[in-house]
Amino acid sequence: MQNNFTSTGQYIASEELMMSVNIAMALEKPLLIKGEPGTGKTMLAKAVSEALGKKLIVWNIKSTTKAQEGLYTYDTIQRLYDSQFGNEGVDNIANYIKLGKLGEAFESEEQVVLLIDEIDKADLEFPNDLLWELDQMEFYIYETKRTVKAVKRPIVIITSNAEKELPDAFLRRCIFHYIDFPDRELMEEIVKTHIPDIEENLLKNAMDTFYEIRTYSQLRKKPATSELIDWLNALIIAGVDPEKIKRELPFVGVLIKKDEDLEVLRKRVD
Amino acid sequence: MFTTFYYTLKAKGLDVSLTEWLALMNALNRNLNNSSLTGFYYTARAILVKSETDFDKFDMAFEECFKGIKTENQITDTMLRWLDKSEEMQRIFDEEKFWLNQQEELQIDRDDVEQKFKDRLKDQDSEHNGGSYWIGTMGKTSFGNMGGNVGGVRVGGKTGYQSAFSVVGARKYRDFRDDRMLDNRQFQLAFRKLRQFSSKLDIPKTELDIPGTIDSTCKNGGYLRIEMEKPRKNAVKLLLLMDSGGTMIPFSSLLNELFQAIHKSNHYKDVKTYYFHNCIYSKLYKTPECENGDWIDTEWMFKNLDSDYKVIIVGDAAMAPEELYSDTGNYRGPNGGLSGEQWLLLLKQHYKKIVWLNPKMAPGHAPWREAETRVKEIFPMYKLTIDGLNEAMVKLMAR
Repeated sequence: MQNNFTSTGQYIASEELMMSVNIAMALEKPLLIKGEPGTGKTMLAKAVSEALGKKLIVWNIKSTTKAQEGLYTYDTIQRLYDSQFGNEGVDNIANYIKLGKLGEAFESEEQVVLLIDEIDKADLEFPNDLLWELDQMEFYIYETKRTVKAVKRPIVIITSNAEKELPDAFLRRCIFHYIDFPDRELMEEIVKTHIPDIEENLLKNAMDTFYEIRTYSQLRKKPATSELIDWLNALIIAGVDPEKIKRELPFVGVLIKKDEDLEVLRKRVD
Repeated sequence: MFTTFYYTLKAKGLDVSLTEWLALMNALNRNLNNSSLTGFYYTARAILVKSETDFDKFDMAFEECFKGIKTENQITDTMLRWLDKSEEMQRIFDEEKFWLNQQEELQIDRDDVEQKFKDRLKDQDSEHNGGSYWIGTMGKTSFGNMGGNVGGVRVGGKTGYQSAFSVVGARKYRDFRDDRMLDNRQFQLAFRKLRQFSSKLDIPKTELDIPGTIDSTCKNGGYLRIEMEKPRKNAVKLLLLMDSGGTMIPFSSLLNELFQAIHKSNHYKDVKTYYFHNCIYSKLYKTPECENGDWIDTEWMFKNLDSDYKVIIVGDAAMAPEELYSDTGNYRGPNGGLSGEQWLLLLKQHYKKIVWLNPKMAPGHAPWREAETRVKEIFPMYKLTIDGLNEAMVKLMAR
């Protein structure tokens, strides 16, 4: 089995990113990925799982997600109802324990890649509640007095959009990588993995415009990789004349999504 | 030899823990850096540094420690082995030189390229970001100013390895630097104190009401009847009034953090924010730019935001006495027939809980700052530090 992560057909990683991934795997620590929205943080976990041929388990974090939900949930109300009618198995609590994503990753016989996506969306204390579980790769189910321990330590990748600061104790246990915004050459490579037969002239004009727009410091949300790819697709489908891209900015709404930012752009173009 | 690096990192303000350090040693023992100095740079950074805001400090420490070794001939065997990528480094350096020499404005002295390269970076920095930017925490991702300008000078657009020193030398993470007194997390933790749980809010019943269920089941002859209740939610409503006057500009980054922290703490029932210029008069502005016309009537606010709102006023209370006492003291907009002082007293009359946070409060009694002294008499005033903020929150929650 391959034990090192390299760029895949679908995902182009910089050398330093590959290094960070390999360090995290070797030291068995979670890899924390930060970076501008749209620089492929979530895509990375997918690429790692593909490159290593391992299953990917995704735990999407929302503002209401509790750490406990990732471990297991105990459906007390269902059990209470079932008990009224003496349903079969009601005396066995284990029937009402459902493992969460983290539990699923621990119980898997094969090593898996676990993506904890957008950890900063959750409550401030959320990362602290997972310290022990991520460190020791085990947790205890009080109701059944069972310890769930990782059969094969999963490769944990955590992404954050820096909406909230993460606690120090949590950070100390992670390997950290900040995805820089790709420079032009790397970007061209990335674009070509998504749109292999793109016309050079179109690409050049679009890229010029794209990087020009990114220099406008007043923009609240700068367009990133995923917006660029959507935009290129839109340009290709509509068959826009490459020469017109710079002057007319067709489909600019794909790149710029906030009204205030469109206003900024309009002022700059005039 | 690495111990020096450890202490240099500490001296640069990076709080490296022993566990992280041991993890790095472990990584080096297992040669995860592929025996190269550049590899060592990335390995050490990934393990020791946990925020892009600290990359610059790391770069500086790295440069100090390892650049010295390179020139002072204190090269140990291990170091030699690392540096054994000299061909690669030379090639990169040559490319750099070539590229820089292509730039017209740099056509000066070929031998001095490295220095010129740094100078250029420095220039570019100040040009693009301006003075106020430097203090600002705009490097924080929430505003998306990712300091991409500096990154744009990335040498020759290489996508592969850059030599450790050309990365360090570029100091491309300088914009992320963030020597702040307070960080956002600390702010947010302070705002957590503002909680008053109530189950009287209009939200769906999603929690099991245990006493209710038992009661109901008993009345139902022992057959289960489940009762649900509303989860208890924070009922605190917050009104934030921020001074956006000229004297507040040096604190813009701090205020930005404060503002972010309040808006990220999404557990309030309601948060309203208005701005004022130096003192509060008959109008409150909707945006920090304080443009005339883009405002609401202060009277309207009194009518529409009831007295339960907890009010946090942030300002330096630095104004001329007439701005506070004269009923024509507002030089930017209407006074509404009352002096600033009278408006402040009206505010105090209307809202039960008000605190004033001041980023540059004079310690103790400061008679030379007349307006500040008077404002302090009207509202409890706290300095905008963690301690001050915590005290202010306690004051807001006190019954």
